[in-house]
Amino acid sequence: MRKLLRYMDGYRLRAVAAPLFKFFEAVMELLVPLIVASIIDTGIAQGDHGYIVRRVLLMVLFGVAGLAFAVTAQYFSAKVAVSFTGRIRRALFKHLGTLSYTEIDTIGTDTLITRLTGDMNQIQNGVNLTLRLLMRSPFIVLGATVMAYTVDHRAALVFAGLIPILAIVIFAIMLISIPLYRRVQERLDRVVGALRRNLAGVRVLRAFNKEAAERKDFGERTDELEHEQRTVGGVSALLNPLTYCLVNLAILLLVYTGALRVEAGILTQGAVIALYNYMSQILVELVKLANLIINITRAVACGNRVQSIFEIAPSVVSPEDAIPVDADGFADASLENAPVVSFRDVSLRYAKASSEMLSHISCDIFPGEYVGVIGGTGSGKTSLVQLIPRFYDITDGSLTVFGHNVGEYDLDSLRHAVRVVPQKAVLFAGTIRSNLLFGNPNATDEELWFALEKSCAADFVRALPEGLDAPVSKGGSNFSGGQRQRLTIARAFVTDARILILDDSGSALDYATEQKLRRALREERDRTVLYVSQRAGALTGCDRILVLEDGELVGNGTHDELLSTCPVYREIAAASGLAVAEGGAV
Amino acid sequence: MKTRQILSRLLRYLRRSLPLLILALLLAAVSVILQILVPKRIGDAIDTIVGPGDVAFDALWGFLRTAGIFVLISAVSSWLMTLLLNRVSFRTVRDIRNDAINHITRLPLSYLDSRSNGEIVSRVITDVDQVADGLLLGFAQFFTGILTILGTLTLMFLTNVKIALVVMLLTPLSLFVARFIASRTFRLFREQSLARSAQTSLIDELVGQQKVVQAYSYESRAAESFDACDEKLCDCALKATFFSSLTNPCTRFVNSTVYAACTLVGSFAVISGGLSVGMLTTMLAYAGQYAKPFNEISGVVTELQNALACAARIFELLDEPLPAVQEEGPELPDSLRGDIEFSHVAFSYVRERPLITDMNISVRAGSRIAIVGPTGCGKTTLINLLMRFYEIDGGTVTFDGLPLSDIPKSYLRRNIGMVLQDTWLSDGTIRDNIAMGKPDATDDEIKTAAKAAHAHSFIRRLPDGYDTVLGEHGGGLSAGQRQLLCIARVMLCLPPILILDEATSSIDTRTEWKIQDAFQLMMKGRTSFIVAHRLSTIKNADLILVMKDGNVIEQGTHDTLMSGDTFYRSLYLAGSQT
Repeated sequence: MRKLLRYMDGYRLRAVAAPLFKFFEAVMELLVPLIVASIIDTGIAQGDHGYIVRRVLLMVLFGVAGLAFAVTAQYFSAKVAVSFTGRIRRALFKHLGTLSYTEIDTIGTDTLITRLTGDMNQIQNGVNLTLRLLMRSPFIVLGATVMAYTVDHRAALVFAGLIPILAIVIFAIMLISIPLYRRVQERLDRVVGALRRNLAGVRVLRAFNKEAAERKDFGERTDELEHEQRTVGGVSALLNPLTYCLVNLAILLLVYTGALRVEAGILTQGAVIALYNYMSQILVELVKLANLIINITRAVACGNRVQSIFEIAPSVVSPEDAIPVDADGFADASLENAPVVSFRDVSLRYAKASSEMLSHISCDIFPGEYVGVIGGTGSGKTSLVQLIPRFYDITDGSLTVFGHNVGEYDLDSLRHAVRVVPQKAVLFAGTIRSNLLFGNPNATDEELWFALEKSCAADFVRALPEGLDAPVSKGGSNFSGGQRQRLTIARAFVTDARILILDDSGSALDYATEQKLRRALREERDRTVLYVSQRAGALTGCDRILVLEDGELVGNGTHDELLSTCPVYREIAAASGLAVAEGGAV
Repeated sequence: MKTRQILSRLLRYLRRSLPLLILALLLAAVSVILQILVPKRIGDAIDTIVGPGDVAFDALWGFLRTAGIFVLISAVSSWLMTLLLNRVSFRTVRDIRNDAINHITRLPLSYLDSRSNGEIVSRVITDVDQVADGLLLGFAQFFTGILTILGTLTLMFLTNVKIALVVMLLTPLSLFVARFIASRTFRLFREQSLARSAQTSLIDELVGQQKVVQAYSYESRAAESFDACDEKLCDCALKATFFSSLTNPCTRFVNSTVYAACTLVGSFAVISGGLSVGMLTTMLAYAGQYAKPFNEISGVVTELQNALACAARIFELLDEPLPAVQEEGPELPDSLRGDIEFSHVAFSYVRERPLITDMNISVRAGSRIAIVGPTGCGKTTLINLLMRFYEIDGGTVTFDGLPLSDIPKSYLRRNIGMVLQDTWLSDGTIRDNIAMGKPDATDDEIKTAAKAAHAHSFIRRLPDGYDTVLGEHGGGLSAGQRQLLCIARVMLCLPPILILDEATSSIDTRTEWKIQDAFQLMMKGRTSFIVAHRLSTIKNADLILVMKDGNVIEQGTHDTLMSGDTFYRSLYLAGSQT
């Protein structure tokens, strides 16, 4: 949490002013028992009506002043809490943008979303409460002690003794219950998990007749939850009765001490009443304080979680002396025969994985080539192509892109030059235009239409009344799967990327469309194209095909070469019915 | 649902806990009454302290001792009350949730399919919690609040009528102030929640698809649009937070004014006699505390209303009618043979839109049936009917000549193995998932099934092998790997009837090819329905069902269907053009 406090910069003055004004308000409140004491000792004792009226008016005046102070303090604290949280949220969002795939994989996007939403609300709430209430309560508690001391230092000893005891009780209960609350939350998550499973997997669970087992499992989970809730409930239920008890017993002790002092002629009756009032004020504030601490600890826990995300350094970053892709004019014709991508003995092991995803891959890809990548499920096709734009760092070997080690580039520039169309068709809320401009905000309408044409999406976009400005709902849900896929492919064409990688992006397309797409890709001679697929048929027309099996490169050549040299490829081709010379159906 | 109905339903849940509940209320009453009496005793004690040499220590002791005992008893009973209420509330929550899962696991799929999972989750989790918090704890607060107000008022009137009147008449002012502010801030809160949900949906998208955002170097532009959205939210949040935070200072101001008025009236009363200084102190203590339960109660009322609304939503789910429990039919053999007849079957998801009008299929045990047709032709519906996820509206379906009414659903489903296009895996380990249909399967059986499905090699390479825990969405596994697990799941306990719905759509051709062997083995002697795209599967089928718009429009073998001018023929020719 502490490191987050730098986002308070510029608001520090207001962050101090808010509790300060709360302090003034508290002072106003603390003066009231003194006024009451003077009314009793002077006004009532002497039967002076005028004195009493003047004193009561003073009380009202203090009330008005207190209100003014409080309103100011509330404004400052709201302002600070909202602005502080907003800054953290924006910074966190930016930070998430810098995280690389490895971190996204390990943390999970669901967690990241919670950090940005629920946790932020808790933090805002916590800061706001801290500034405006947590400060007020200690002021009153300490202030009441100080005031008691000015009334009578012996009686103040009761205060001095009570406050540490109360503090210990409150904090002990808090400290015990917080981890218990966390366990309650975990148990609740388990209940939710079981429920979700029963909804999402209803067909499978019913097909396997698991209803009774599921009911039993759910029942066990709700039992566990109830058990934890009762444990923590029992502990936190102690808080209010215990504090009430302590404060009131202290009041009794105070009255008794006061009686002795009055008997000795050191104190007046009014003074004893003032002491009593101070003690009562402590109770009210302590109860508030106790409830608030729960909220605040929660906020601190959220703060820590958020901070832990900030502390995750992206594993893939541009080096200090990063070079842009175009630095030495690699695109020059003179270098045409140098490979654009060169894998040398490359291995990749994902974080936490026990074995390598890719082992000792070596191959070159030349400018303008149209290269197919094929292999079984989990053979490492996606992993291989994701290395080129440096979504992951290789574990071993060397990877050269455009003549430089891939790690030397400025990431932005590299990813502009190497464009990947992911397997899953993802569109964002906005318009077709905004989605197409995703990777290249400067593209002209002409370029957009050209891209749509190439991805076989132009026809249906033209049929939309709004054309390019047709709205796209969240996740592109107002388009069919095939349309979404075509739009994401079009998005990839709206680019001046030197290398275009389609990661099994054609699989959701119908046969004819995929074929048109492949034809368009073949014509992309000014860029290098990598086409990843599971089906050999999709790779006809490729200049060259890379064959992966269990993370190893087992074949590298043309279709015909591979048929004669690569048994794995032969199997794949046979399965697709391609080994037969005339090609054939489906 | 009417409020009374809701309450009576809730009372049914509380019946078991009624003694606890009554005890809790008694304890609450004890605690509140004693708490009110404490300031009174202290006031009496203060009256014994008149001045130097004028302190009645004996009486003082007596008052202090009584007050001490009151404090202790009150604290203990309020603690016990909370414990009891907790117990009742948590238990009720558990009971309602267990009832909910009992109901959900029996509800027809037509209900579950027509509602979003999130909606049902929110009813069973959030709404149930609201009911417990709002109704039980809210009720307890309401009860103690009312009791405190009545008790305090009574004591005040007994002590001094004038002061009591001042307090009673002026205190509601603070309530009005609180109401006034709340009604004004309502609009601001709504704006805030609109801004917040706009932001959440942006976050869902941009963070949920962070990888795509990065692939397109969109990070900085994403941050820009986020910033713009965030500024709007901050603006709304500031207003809502600030204006709503005015409530406390304003009510505090009203209360301190009431306090001042009491001091004035009380002091005059002391001077004119009839009120002691100690009594004035007691009255001031009461005046200070009197407003508190009012504020609490006004909060509780909204919470109660909210809780009732939540309870209505839960009961709506629990009242959803369940299909009738099937009566015991005739004795059934260990397993079905696999003869299936559909005759004149009619079915529709929505009554107004008939889907299947007159479906007739006759399948002999052990045959292979390929289902073909364009997207949306009704393949999924056919599976829904075979598995009896949905009930037919007309006609008859028989298995081995037995009508559906004689076959319990669990028996039917035990006899059908299903691999769906949607590869759903349960959370838990890979082992648990494969053993889903046979929880007592041995390690060897599981491995054999996994090998047959060609899943063994990738499972072995996972960090924890068969003990790898899968997340909620089968996390970490590719679509193909998930599908292999689903196949292994069926491989483990091969039933006489199989349904394979595009079972290999996410598997690469080579793995698919390998699996074909296993499939051949699996399908041998079994009635198999295959939603197939592979030509070889279709060609080798004993029966091809050509579906369109929900109905089977053509059926026969490849050869008979190709011999005429059929829809199948046009599909086939379109598919085989290169």
